[in-house]
Amino acid sequence: MDVGSGPSDAEVVARVLGGDREAFGILIQRYEAGLLRYATRMLGSRDAASDAVAEGLVRAYRHLASCRDPARLRTWLYRIVANRCKSHLARRPRADVSLDDAPPVADPSDNEAALEKAEQLALVERALMTLSPERREAFVLKHVEGLSYEEMSAATGERIPTLKMRVHRAREALLQALEEYR
Amino acid sequence: MNPMDPKFHQALDGEIGMDALSPELRREAERLDAVVAMLAAAPAAQGVAARVMAAVARPAPSRPRRMWRWLVTPHSLVLRMRPAWSLALAAGILLLAVLPSPQIGPALGAEEGIAQFVARFPGARSVAVVGSFNDWRPGSIPLEDRDHDGVWRAAVVLPAGTHEYMLVVDGERWVADPLAGRYVEDDFGRENSVLIVQPVMH
Repeated sequence: MDVGSGPSDAEVVARVLGGDREAFGILIQRYEAGLLRYATRMLGSRDAASDAVAEGLVRAYRHLASCRDPARLRTWLYRIVANRCKSHLARRPRADVSLDDAPPVADPSDNEAALEKAEQLALVERALMTLSPERREAFVLKHVEGLSYEEMSAATGERIPTLKMRVHRAREALLQALEEYR
Repeated sequence: MNPMDPKFHQALDGEIGMDALSPELRREAERLDAVVAMLAAAPAAQGVAARVMAAVARPAPSRPRRMWRWLVTPHSLVLRMRPAWSLALAAGILLLAVLPSPQIGPALGAEEGIAQFVARFPGARSVAVVGSFNDWRPGSIPLEDRDHDGVWRAAVVLPAGTHEYMLVVDGERWVADPLAGRYVEDDFGRENSVLIVQPVMH
């Protein structure tokens, strides 16, 4: 992704590889929010997501020279963070996958509409966490992060028909889960 | 839920226009849009950038220091590549020892066996085994290093059968047992060690 009139990803990568370490901050600023959002949706925990993204970005920095196509850096970063998320999920008992570390907090200054919105978000997050990690990954990459199926295939290493099937099943399961929560 | 009309997915995948959907399917698509909009709200950054930049700013250790660290730090890669002398030392790593031991006999059922774990992690503060037998919960089966020689041990009663496991060092580093002999890839592409517990014969 190239942002506005700023340097392209490939240019920034070249600067970092040329020794300009601080330039890596440009890439972090560019992709941090999306990667955090993705990891939060995958792990159901903002703390765990921060860890996964931080680990992933440090890993990306250390292996930047191995990024074969810096113009597609975004996909490469998603792949690294996706793998970190899988490691976190593999290390964590299923019972620990929860949104409890970030529940909607009822601040006295919140108005009713804001509280209702928080409740709805909690409901949706809970429904998302009922999906298998594979379906959740496919759904979030497709719909929340807006990746194309080709980009998703590059980020996950899965075939496009497999990803399509996972997205389709995830859509149906999510709608079904939300129907049951009503 | 029954699979939805394929048109629903085709429209959401951009293969056909939304106007090809029935009013009912269009409402479902709108529900999904609302869900996505909620999930798309980015969480606060929580200082990730500062953590990453601090990590990358740390100067890379010198080659001798890296060598020294390689020799003394028992992380998974090191263990797999450890020289022969150390492997010999670690030969005590025993995946499974079926001991028809009378002293534990009363607690053992016919469908249980004893698994003995031995691993060498000099300098580790704690070592535990996690696996399919304890829901991968660190801490429930700790290994002990009573004589502080870096060799950690535990013997536990497990149900007979095939189990997947890993070792957790210092509560945070997950390591496949380098001498497990058998490994299996889990759903996430990670490699777990495998042990087979034989039932104790009475």
